[in-house]
Amino acid sequence: MFDPPILSRHDARICVVGGGGSGAALAYDLALRGFSVLLLEKGEFTSGTTGRHHGQLHSGARYAVGDREIARECMEETLVLRRIVPQAIEYNGGIFAAIRDDEADYAPAFVSACLEAGIPAREIPAAEARAREPALNPALKRSVWVPDGTIDAYRLAASFLSAAAALGAEMRAFTELVGVETSGGRIQGGTIRDPCGREERVSFDCLVSAAGAWAGEVGALAGLDIPITPAPGTMVAVRGRISDMVLSRLAPPGDGDILVPQRGLSIIGSTQTRADSPEGILPTKAEIEFLFRRADELVPGFSAAPFHAAWAAARPLAGRAASDAEGRAISRDFAVLDHGTEGVSGMFTLIGGKATVLRAMARKAADAVCAHLGIREPCRTADFPLPSWRSLDAFQARMAGRGTAGSGGRTGGTA
Amino acid sequence: MIEVILRIRDGGGYAELTGRFPEDSTVLDALETLRARAEAEARGAVSGSGPASGAIPAPDRGGAPAARVPHYRHSCHHGSCGTCGAVINGLPSLMCLTRFSELSAPRPREPGGPAREPERDPRGALVVTLDPLPKGTLIAGIAARPTAALEAIPEEYSYLRPSEDAGRAPLPADPTRDAAPRETKGGLTSPGRVRFEACIECGLCSASCPVAVPFMGPAALAAVNRQREKNPDSADRMLEQAARPDGAPACERHLHCSRVCPQAVYPGKHIQLLRNALAGRAQ
Repeated sequence: MFDPPILSRHDARICVVGGGGSGAALAYDLALRGFSVLLLEKGEFTSGTTGRHHGQLHSGARYAVGDREIARECMEETLVLRRIVPQAIEYNGGIFAAIRDDEADYAPAFVSACLEAGIPAREIPAAEARAREPALNPALKRSVWVPDGTIDAYRLAASFLSAAAALGAEMRAFTELVGVETSGGRIQGGTIRDPCGREERVSFDCLVSAAGAWAGEVGALAGLDIPITPAPGTMVAVRGRISDMVLSRLAPPGDGDILVPQRGLSIIGSTQTRADSPEGILPTKAEIEFLFRRADELVPGFSAAPFHAAWAAARPLAGRAASDAEGRAISRDFAVLDHGTEGVSGMFTLIGGKATVLRAMARKAADAVCAHLGIREPCRTADFPLPSWRSLDAFQARMAGRGTAGSGGRTGGTA
Repeated sequence: MIEVILRIRDGGGYAELTGRFPEDSTVLDALETLRARAEAEARGAVSGSGPASGAIPAPDRGGAPAARVPHYRHSCHHGSCGTCGAVINGLPSLMCLTRFSELSAPRPREPGGPAREPERDPRGALVVTLDPLPKGTLIAGIAARPTAALEAIPEEYSYLRPSEDAGRAPLPADPTRDAAPRETKGGLTSPGRVRFEACIECGLCSASCPVAVPFMGPAALAAVNRQREKNPDSADRMLEQAARPDGAPACERHLHCSRVCPQAVYPGKHIQLLRNALAGRAQ
């Protein structure tokens, strides 16, 4: 039974824009700290980058050499998520595989960087790795075990949404923020458009944009120029569960170097480009062929498995990149921008980040809201196992019954 | 490329959108392309270049403004989340896995029906009609949540199950297991290989089911049987639920559920297994 105590109630109403992973975790964090929460999502919950992400629960090993701090944060968060949302995680660990000589040479630096970031990586003999995951390339030279796993992206985020809903957060899908209202340099409220196209004015004391790759669009409503680069990546799924462990190339982060198993699928990813807009991004044939080639290096025969689907989603890189290479150089770390200095006091933008650290992203944003309001409330989202994502549907149905979430009618009984 | 007329349910009528798409394009890819286009035009921000990563070429609309796309649900785009179910040309399907090439070929117009040639307009364009899943909670457009289909899934049902072992050596020793105690639901207490259940809770099975009496539905009964199989401790409770009047006895064996399931869960098989177990218990 999910029934965490609310330690104190606050009058302030906080509007969260974005119903992806970070917005979901933020709505829960704020509700648990006793705030009144309104979450707005212009489409279905998790219909942006969250749902379409690769599905890797990152131990942080991928980032250990390049960015120690985000690696450490991934490791801490992976343990928390395994504790509070176990039903949305296939946890089987992962293997970083050296296929080429230069990758084998990378092993010592990789393992020591992991250990320094608090990730208990360790080298295991190549023969042992292949006994555990026989699909690995027989040319495997060295292999390193790490505590990686697989996330069901939709169900992870929806579990946070369920928790927020259980605490009374008002969450509105297919409801877009279309205008922001300020007075005397302070945020006052905004205009929203509901699923039926009706517009209404709503009041709130703070606005947190957790719109990910859409942060630029949300910022523009308040006349802000948000430094964000939508950076699409493509993934390809084939049918068949080629491994249980996440398989990665033992090399600095690159394209097509991670194979994530999930249910009855095996998913190779990713690529990284840049886009002006995060909408309508689809994979190209060249990307799909490239990913198949890369997957075959890791797991020979991958491309011969039955094709299932290919998709793309825009990462929300925090910063501006003039080229793809510059995009690669941008850290996957996250930050909270306080727009008080730009004449919009009470508005914040959560930028950057990754699915694995969604709870830490939410904590940072909620901390900023508390500091702005002069309220001291600790983050307690690591303390309680979350309710099932299935209770979100029941909650949405209750909301619909109150006439606040669209027409809410029952669709016809026969096809 | 293939010329497509998308007729999308929107309130009492249909919004009609046309476009040219690659034959291997999914229905969802087409909706995403049309929606991105319409939203960009609404913002007055259409650029000739389009996104850097390859979008489907903009549909040729002969200079007419892009029509608004009615609301639809989507998330993972690879048949994993179960949100994008819709009735596509009469058949409950996932929009992310249904390609125009499949819709161009003979296909049943209703669950269990004979395959028939697709509808085409006088110019030969493929007509694709999208309706919301029946028995769902309608939000707007074709966005409907399969709330009722999932309501009776038992709270103790574990979404995890042992992975296919396939003769592999056990997972390596794991120093982080102590830090994150193992999931204990569904009898999974050993640190073995795990995976999610096949069911993605999309509700296509319930949407296709013709049973008109109160019925918890195929998805819930499949979950009940999976939990019974995985965890003997819960078997009695699961059979009790299956025996309810709105449980296995309400099933009329149409088997549409098994035909439309995109994950080969075969809910009809699980209902039969529950019947067998109930009969065995009665003896």
